[in-house]
Amino acid sequence: MRKKIGSALVVGAGISGIRSALDLAELGYQVKLIDRAPNLGGTLTQLDYQFPSDHCGMCKMLPLVERDSSSQYCLRKGLFHQNIEIMLNTELVEMEGEPGKFEVTLRQRPAVVDPELCIGCGECSRVCPVEVADEFNAGLAKRKAVYLPVPHNIPNNYVVDLDSCTMCGECEKICPTGAIDFRWEARSQFKILVVDDELIVRDSLKDWLIEEGFDVDTAESGPAALEKIAKQPYHLMLLDIKMPEMDGVEVLQRAKDMRPELPVVMMTAYATVETAVEAMKIGALDYLMKPFDPDTLVPLVVKLYENLERAGELKMEVGAVILAAGFGSFDPAGNGLNTYGYGEIPNVVTSIEFERIVSASGPSQGKLVRPSDGKEIRKIAWLQCVGSRDMHADADYCSSICCMFSVKEALLAKERSNGQVEAAIFYMDMRTFGKDFQRYRDEAEKTYGVRFQRSRVHSVEQKELGGDPRIVYTDITGTGREEIFDLVVLAAGQRPPAGSDVLAETTGVELNQWGFCQLKPFSLSLTSQDGVYVAGSFSGLRDISESVIQASSASLRASGLIHSKGGGLAEASESKVAFRDVSREPPQVMVALCTCGDTFTQAVQIKEVESFVSNLDSVSHVHRFGSICTQEGWNQLEQAMEASGANRLLIGSCMPYLYTRKLRDLGANIGLNPALMEVVDIRSSVFPGNNSSQEQASREIRLALSMGVGKLKGMDPSVSTGTPIAQKGLVVGGGIAGMTSALGIAEHGFEVFLVEKTEELGGNLRHLYRTLEGNSPQELLEQTISKVQRHPNIHLHMNSRVLHSHGRVGRFITTIEKEDGSGETLEHGVTILATGGKEATTESYGYGQSDIIVTQHQLEEQLHSGQIDPAELGVVAMIQCVDSREEPRNYCSRICCSSALKNALYLKEQNPEIDIYILYRDIMAYGFLETYYTQARQAGVIFIQYDVDDKPKVNIENGRVSAAVTDPILGREVVVETDLLVLSTGIAPEGQGKLAEIFGVETNQDGFFQEAEYKWRPVDFLREGVFTCGMSHSPRNITESIAMAEATAQRALRILASERLTAGSTVAEVRYSLCSLCEKCIEACPYGARWRDEDEEKIMVDELSCQGCGSCAAVCPNSASVLRGYRDQQIFSVIDAALEEIF
Amino acid sequence: MSEETRELSEGHAEEDLMAAIRENIKACMQCGTCTGSCGSAYAMDFTPRQMWRMVQLGMVDEIFNSRTFSLCSSCYYCTLRCPRGLPLTESIHGLKQLAVAKGVAEKKGARFYQTFLDTVRRYGRVREMELMARYFIAMKSPVLPLSFTPLGMKLMMKGKVSPEMPQFFRPGKLDGIFRKVKELEARS
Repeated sequence: MRKKIGSALVVGAGISGIRSALDLAELGYQVKLIDRAPNLGGTLTQLDYQFPSDHCGMCKMLPLVERDSSSQYCLRKGLFHQNIEIMLNTELVEMEGEPGKFEVTLRQRPAVVDPELCIGCGECSRVCPVEVADEFNAGLAKRKAVYLPVPHNIPNNYVVDLDSCTMCGECEKICPTGAIDFRWEARSQFKILVVDDELIVRDSLKDWLIEEGFDVDTAESGPAALEKIAKQPYHLMLLDIKMPEMDGVEVLQRAKDMRPELPVVMMTAYATVETAVEAMKIGALDYLMKPFDPDTLVPLVVKLYENLERAGELKMEVGAVILAAGFGSFDPAGNGLNTYGYGEIPNVVTSIEFERIVSASGPSQGKLVRPSDGKEIRKIAWLQCVGSRDMHADADYCSSICCMFSVKEALLAKERSNGQVEAAIFYMDMRTFGKDFQRYRDEAEKTYGVRFQRSRVHSVEQKELGGDPRIVYTDITGTGREEIFDLVVLAAGQRPPAGSDVLAETTGVELNQWGFCQLKPFSLSLTSQDGVYVAGSFSGLRDISESVIQASSASLRASGLIHSKGGGLAEASESKVAFRDVSREPPQVMVALCTCGDTFTQAVQIKEVESFVSNLDSVSHVHRFGSICTQEGWNQLEQAMEASGANRLLIGSCMPYLYTRKLRDLGANIGLNPALMEVVDIRSSVFPGNNSSQEQASREIRLALSMGVGKLKGMDPSVSTGTPIAQKGLVVGGGIAGMTSALGIAEHGFEVFLVEKTEELGGNLRHLYRTLEGNSPQELLEQTISKVQRHPNIHLHMNSRVLHSHGRVGRFITTIEKEDGSGETLEHGVTILATGGKEATTESYGYGQSDIIVTQHQLEEQLHSGQIDPAELGVVAMIQCVDSREEPRNYCSRICCSSALKNALYLKEQNPEIDIYILYRDIMAYGFLETYYTQARQAGVIFIQYDVDDKPKVNIENGRVSAAVTDPILGREVVVETDLLVLSTGIAPEGQGKLAEIFGVETNQDGFFQEAEYKWRPVDFLREGVFTCGMSHSPRNITESIAMAEATAQRALRILASERLTAGSTVAEVRYSLCSLCEKCIEACPYGARWRDEDEEKIMVDELSCQGCGSCAAVCPNSASVLRGYRDQQIFSVIDAALEEIF
Repeated sequence: MSEETRELSEGHAEEDLMAAIRENIKACMQCGTCTGSCGSAYAMDFTPRQMWRMVQLGMVDEIFNSRTFSLCSSCYYCTLRCPRGLPLTESIHGLKQLAVAKGVAEKKGARFYQTFLDTVRRYGRVREMELMARYFIAMKSPVLPLSFTPLGMKLMMKGKVSPEMPQFFRPGKLDGIFRKVKELEARS
């Protein structure tokens, strides 16, 4: 297997963290992925459906090539990758060193339940007497102190929440595998010194703690205590503050001089709390408040003990750190205002809570009933901008995703109720700025009848005490209205994640004024600290698609750094494992049964099972092992396997998913392809509480084993050698996106062809002179061009266009035509399409009929050239959404609102006397752009909202231009006589169609490139090896284009970095003797992995592109198309085995 | 027309005040929270949101012809709730001041304020009986007092209104303060 030098740390295992970790792992880096939560997945674990697809699709992030390096099942349930080590309950506590060589210290909270031993039977949870609010269900349900953090994880280990645990020990007693261990016996080694001048305190503490198994010593005064400390070391000192002779603080100081590592906890009465806090500053660990009672004190000390003795600290060296810390949610009840009555009025919930209500794994199993009283929900209001765009909540920013989130929830509610639910969304601006968002919103409104009410609701009241929530609001005309709802959902905005300030301090990254990670100009992943990158919502709330892009951008930067520091993509000298060729041997299966101690010998007739299995066809050996999960057991198994000479292995044990990595190692050791090994679950048949008889359990186990044998014996033993890769890239388009991705690849040491049709690099960027944030695009352009031109790995082809391309991932042959008509053929392994978009042109609003009617782009250009002098302007009007956000161009161009804000602010800055009117539909000032919208209004720009059915009318008379618009608030027409009318025409595609044809990829109905999947594979095409970025994918600003370009480079590198690549063990094949060349399979293949070779008269399959979905096998009328590992006779023998036991 | 000439003759103070009000509410994003929160909005000819829009658009005549701002009861709900944190009630006070300075005060909506202030100037407090009587006279509507009869009866029965002789010819108790305020207003 590939193994590269270099490692990285990813902090946070939500979507972004997983994406970054997978990216780096696919390049061969060793990745440590940590999260402070006890589970993977971050916020997404609570969300079942995503807009605009209304389903999940998280698994699409898993590797597409070299698939066997990773688990290949639902990513919500878990992730295994050979290069990723996951540490949960873990935080980054220290970071030293320099970029490329950081020493990080990770602290893992103690795990009371041993994940290696826990089989997830749930007995512990059943006996646990504690009940607390369940975070997974956003507090809508209860859980025990020993619980499953996420109900669907694989493997699903129970964890103990030490904060709520009372240490009663019931779970430890009942655990059938001894996985729970509070380590009572180890406590006798733990020496505690109690220092207090009062005998009663000393004695009672001593009694209580000795009862808990600790070794307790006492001292009646400071000097006596110091004497004891000098004589022998203690593990913990409980120290009173107020004592005669010498007070606690002084004792603390002296004790720390003698034994700096001694943890000290101060004991204090209420009056001396401040002293205790002072004491913590000079080294005390914590303080305890008097008076004590054993029920609270003892668990506190035990917790301290757990944290001191069992929290593991791990120091490791990493080349780069990626912060994917996620986000926190605004607490509507938290800022003292709580006008929405959250937590006070029943049936006012947050959007995450609503998500749990509609979730099948939620408290009501997805039934649309109120959590408070179980009443069926029939009328719901969503209130937008709760804790966003609100100065009172210190949030002059937009949380970006809540608009779409609420539309999605409204649609889910409609779907769950067969359209019965009345859904109303109260909003100020509906920010549908992403690709296809506008159509999604329109569909919600027109097809599904979701009501969009433009009104900001200030507060929620109750009809009567404890009754339904009531909302009083004003509609756009000013009429006051009152409505009663069954449920009010608050679209709670984003806050920085908890603990972000500590994380920032530890890693040295700067935060912005609201506490989010501050980004460097023109980047979505560079922080103020070199070598530390940011991914996902820690730098501002993002939807999945953008988080994924940003995460890949971060991993490219991290990889670039490690590479530049000599880590490189060079392969470490680990010889490729040669598997034994067993294709000419008859199948010989060794069956290994794990008896899990002696559980099995008691629960089932193991002898009978054994003899049944050994009589199965192809089974050559059957062995029994005490516990395969231990290293000792595994070694025994390995020896037995080697001795047996069998060429298939079937293991019967618990939790089959745990074995992926182990099987790979075993395969390498004994030279057998891991695809010929299988693990089946026989453990859950004998779970405590199953109450099945010996006979029943034995039958289930026999069934599982004989099905496993059936599958294994038919397994094709041939080994794929992989596809050779042409390690060069082709980038089409020399704008900022194309240049950035070319550089990303070139900087990793691979050659890139950059093809640009014009004579200059830069594309649209050449005509941009300012950004809203005040950065200089021209500087960026100059630097990027010079880097591209100087880079030895980049081969520039100017004035050239792509004529033709054939081939597939790993080896494309593309012909380009130069200006002089000469052609050149390029061979490359991947293709990146970055051909950009252009400002749309228009015939609306009198464009072309007057010199003073210009587009936003022209305005910027003419301001730069001096053709327009702000000093000479009196009135400027701008019209947004020209020809867009309505059919046929029913999409938001995303950048026009910020362009308008930028130009308006510039004009106002140059000449504050100008009256500027911006006629808009919804201001798309998402994220931190909101603050510029505020600035524009503060500068005096007047915003007038218009309706798409009542557009502004432009009148041109004698060279004078005026725009008439109905102001919805006054309900009357406002006429603006203007010196300049600026039209925001948006972005249109530019020639994507032809390229799509050449490279065999798709465009969407608007003519932009169609990605494989909007959320999870935003830069890939369905066709493997071809990627897209920048405005050819969808309108986006400079920074977003750059991030996307970095993501494509990252995706490309994962292929380019190897000389040969294999797909996975499950790929499709063609049996040519049966194939009639009907080509049905070519149509059926969603990945374009099949084609007809005219010379050979054969249907060919591209192994790398094939994802093993099996569509081809399903459509093939002759069973000529087959899926490896799922061949007919295999499946039939599995079915036979299953049925045999029943009949 | 007459209003315009008066505006000119009275110097820049008013323009400055109007500009200050505009400045105050510039950051308004027309969300309508003020209107939704306003207890008097039902009686207004323009809602608060509409009035702020008119301020933004400089529709001075219509603002002062409306009774919106004079109906404000200074409950401060709008200021408290405005997501942009704008000083709305304060701005309303500004509009009221401007209205008086502009002489728009002859309008019905302002008469109550004028009568109220005048009794305060005279006696240093409100004399309910006189305020009532003078307000009815100022409104020049014979029906108006009738509509208040039940309330009047109630107040009298509870001893809240006591008849006292008006004192028209003595100098007012707060004349000095009112003079000073006028001076200050003219200067600012």
